[in-house]
Amino acid sequence: MNYGKRIFLWIVLFWIGSAQVFAEPFVQGGPIGSQTSDGYDALGPVVEQPIEFPHNTHAGRMQINCMYCHTYARRSNVSGIPRLDKCMGCHNLIEGVKDRPRIKKLFEYWENKQPIPWKKVHDLPDFVRFNHERHIQRFYFQEKRPVREVCGYCHGDIASMTTARRVKALSMGWCVSCHQKDHLEKAGSTVTSHGPNDCWLCHK
Amino acid sequence: MSLSNLIQNWNSFRTRRPYEGQYDDAPYKWAMVIDLDACIGCNACTVACYAENNLPVVGKERFGKGQAMHWIRIERYWGEGEAMQSEFPDHGAQYLPMLCQQCEAAPCEPVCPVGATHHSPDGLNTQVYNRCVGSRYCSANCPYKVRYFNWWNYPDRAWPNPLELQLNPDVTVRSKGVMEKCTFCMQRLRAGMDKAKTEGRILADGEVLTACAQACPTSAITFGNLSDKKSKVARTWKNQQVDLSKNVQEKSEEGIRGYRILEDLNTYPSIVYLERVRNLEA
Repeated sequence: MNYGKRIFLWIVLFWIGSAQVFAEPFVQGGPIGSQTSDGYDALGPVVEQPIEFPHNTHAGRMQINCMYCHTYARRSNVSGIPRLDKCMGCHNLIEGVKDRPRIKKLFEYWENKQPIPWKKVHDLPDFVRFNHERHIQRFYFQEKRPVREVCGYCHGDIASMTTARRVKALSMGWCVSCHQKDHLEKAGSTVTSHGPNDCWLCHK
Repeated sequence: MSLSNLIQNWNSFRTRRPYEGQYDDAPYKWAMVIDLDACIGCNACTVACYAENNLPVVGKERFGKGQAMHWIRIERYWGEGEAMQSEFPDHGAQYLPMLCQQCEAAPCEPVCPVGATHHSPDGLNTQVYNRCVGSRYCSANCPYKVRYFNWWNYPDRAWPNPLELQLNPDVTVRSKGVMEKCTFCMQRLRAGMDKAKTEGRILADGEVLTACAQACPTSAITFGNLSDKKSKVARTWKNQQVDLSKNVQEKSEEGIRGYRILEDLNTYPSIVYLERVRNLEA
């Protein structure tokens, strides 16, 4: 291989490498079954929700913090699906949208005293334990990253979707790939540490 | 953990554990003390374990074939001579709760062909169910015989509706072909450790108990963190002159009751038993 070719190869390699490193953190979730930005596939089944909940309005346009509705994320293993009265707490008072079909459906559930049968989108196998609290405490409260970014590591940019779709693989290799990276311990500090790699941290 | 890492660091995985002062920096090293003098053989610990860890009840026939799934069992021993010749030979049994000793140099670990069992940083011998292929080599290599194999698909039959509602959601329901063992109630420990980490501290002594220790009516089982020098377990280990990293314990005087089972096999178990006090004169 001559000198020029070698230089060219290195340039190409560097370009590919840097494209990987500086890739956008959020990639719009493609159709289910397509590959994620990390090259993983198998994103789970398509989930039809009883109401097409517009995350893009609530988290996107209105800028409501994810943890306003998913309250348990910062103090429990599960993030929690909000109860119907959480929706009604606001929507009772928002006169402007009461005639919309989705809101009418919401009021129907409320008047029938029925909970909305939301379905799980990010469902992990039963032998896996994931703790929302530790991740939120570390990245949101300690590192003070924006909430859309913190939740987005695993859930993608939900604020650009209506009902949530799974855009990340949520496979073991994918979890470990982030646990092996160095993360800042606190906002403003330079001390880094990586996630624990003990089997029993996640396997139960 | 890659295969190359496993091969390169094989020695540290197998032989360097434990060494003197290994746990001085570690925040946690779980250990236990079981006082055989206090144990009355009531089996409450076994029942608690069944409830906590989703253990199936196998029935008399399978129990007879050695397919029982009790992670903690009460072993009975009789003295020689007099007791055996009395009118009621069953009387006078001594009880010994036997559970996974969470050996530091566990014989079960290096023989697993798929790396389903390994040592955790907390000093526990872990079993990863979905990695296990059911070779049963670990069970064959365990000198304490505290590993249990799922010979049948118990989720199908052990908890008929509505009994499945009693299952602990924090513990996997194991299916056929998987080895399982005592975890020192890892789900409880993990929940406690996560909570403590969020609050920026380590777990206090007695904050988290295993199901067996919690259920024991005579407090024969003490569970705690050996790295925490002030914990009850660490103090008892010290008072009983048992050192985790030694396989021959030197006692300064007679009458110190602490011992570990089958220490001469160099397994370095994490459970200290306190010998039963007997009045031989009477």
